[in-house]
Amino acid sequence: MKRLLAWLLWLWMCAVLYGAFHYAPLAKGFIGESSRILFFHVPMAWVSFTGFIAAAVWSARYLWGGRQERHDRAAAVAIELGMIYGVLATVTGAIWAKIMWGAYWNWDPRQTSILISLLFYGAYLALRGAVEDRDTRGRLSAAYALIGLVVTPFLFWIMPRIMFTLHPEPVVNVQGKVEIESRMWQVLMASAVGFTALFFWTHNLACRLQALSERRAALRK
Amino acid sequence: MVEGGIEWVAAVNLVIWTGLFVYLLRLGNKIAELEKKQ
Repeated sequence: MKRLLAWLLWLWMCAVLYGAFHYAPLAKGFIGESSRILFFHVPMAWVSFTGFIAAAVWSARYLWGGRQERHDRAAAVAIELGMIYGVLATVTGAIWAKIMWGAYWNWDPRQTSILISLLFYGAYLALRGAVEDRDTRGRLSAAYALIGLVVTPFLFWIMPRIMFTLHPEPVVNVQGKVEIESRMWQVLMASAVGFTALFFWTHNLACRLQALSERRAALRK
Repeated sequence: MVEGGIEWVAAVNLVIWTGLFVYLLRLGNKIAELEKKQ
């Protein structure tokens, strides 16, 4: 069953690639084919956000759900993956910025806000690495990840909307409306679904792998 | 963009995605094997 789902995801992503490069039209006002990066950049940023919020949820479950190690592990892995997707969103955004604005980095509010969120969660990983006692590490990092419930929505959704930015209007604009060509919207949504599924698949694998290595380390002791 | 360039980008994307997919599938099998052993 799991194998079948994995193959379905592969097919789905192949369809997304076809949609992104052939089916969807080019957006107006963009240089060349640069608007096609939207179908990867936006879902990556979305999955990064999802990872950080999911980490806060698992952290809450760790703190108030009987301090189960698997919740602490799930939160840490979600943040690690969220950071990977965040870096990918930043890199794809920088490539696009080079084409459209002439420079990879412009300190635009969008770029700055994602950089701050990456630093915020980088500090989370540093915190985890600095505390040896498992219970203390779990409690402290869970509390820190919960702060992310306030920080992350502010950095991803609010800050870029209240400051002047050169970044194209978000998919859901300030008026709360979606103003995007319908084929582009279909591909974007399909891509977001695919990347979200990929996130949860890799999350599952990473958690199981970590549990195995922890068990092995415990057996060695 | 260079003519035909977008096809190249699409092909590279497809290769990356397929490689990642095969890697994850094999990793999943390996993890399941180790879980059974433990």
